[in-house]
Amino acid sequence: MRLLQANEVYDAIRTPTNFTREETEPPRFTVGQEVVVRNLNPRGHTRLPRYAKGRVGVIERHHGCFVFPDTMAHGKGPHPQHLYNVRFTLTELFGDHDGNAADTVYIDMWESYLDPVTS
Amino acid sequence: MNGIHDVGGEHGFGAVTTEANEPVFHGQWERDVFSVIGIYFAAGLCPLDEFRHSIEVMDPAEYLSTPYYVHWLRAAENLAFWNGLFTPEELQARIEEIEAHEKRESA
Repeated sequence: MRLLQANEVYDAIRTPTNFTREETEPPRFTVGQEVVVRNLNPRGHTRLPRYAKGRVGVIERHHGCFVFPDTMAHGKGPHPQHLYNVRFTLTELFGDHDGNAADTVYIDMWESYLDPVTS
Repeated sequence: MNGIHDVGGEHGFGAVTTEANEPVFHGQWERDVFSVIGIYFAAGLCPLDEFRHSIEVMDPAEYLSTPYYVHWLRAAENLAFWNGLFTPEELQARIEEIEAHEKRESA
């Protein structure tokens, strides 16, 4: 915890946090690659939505290296990882659903949420 | 965590309601809660993810039945407990103190 003087508060609130980090490892996945979401159920914080677990998607974009929320949320450090945007069809996520068969969902996912699809 | 906050894909909540000419705050207490969380951020008391988690651990029934800034209020309380600013017992004692004072005032 930082002790703030009254005249420091405004600047402290306005200064944006930088969540990006230098890459120390090469990315495990490439754009266009099929990935399967790991069935993770941590007791703590995660940015992995329940409905995506076990589903297959395609790497849409590689964002670079970002701090890992699942450890940050518990004071366990930034543990930066590659972050990807992953594309899923609604049919893959929800099976036989009411929506348009062409609809897709894009989810930002940290590398440890994902496994390669082996064929 | 597999908490109540993770509602993506859930059915039965109905349409998202919108308020015409919605004010930024619905009451002074919402302003106060917003300010407190702002100070927490500035003081490094709650990295963004810690803030999110402090809301995820809310009682599920309360989470679903309370307005947005009640979630922020619970965050302010949980983060204070976790950072050792005050204990749940101290908070309860202060609430009772204020209630007793208000009771005397209105008597």
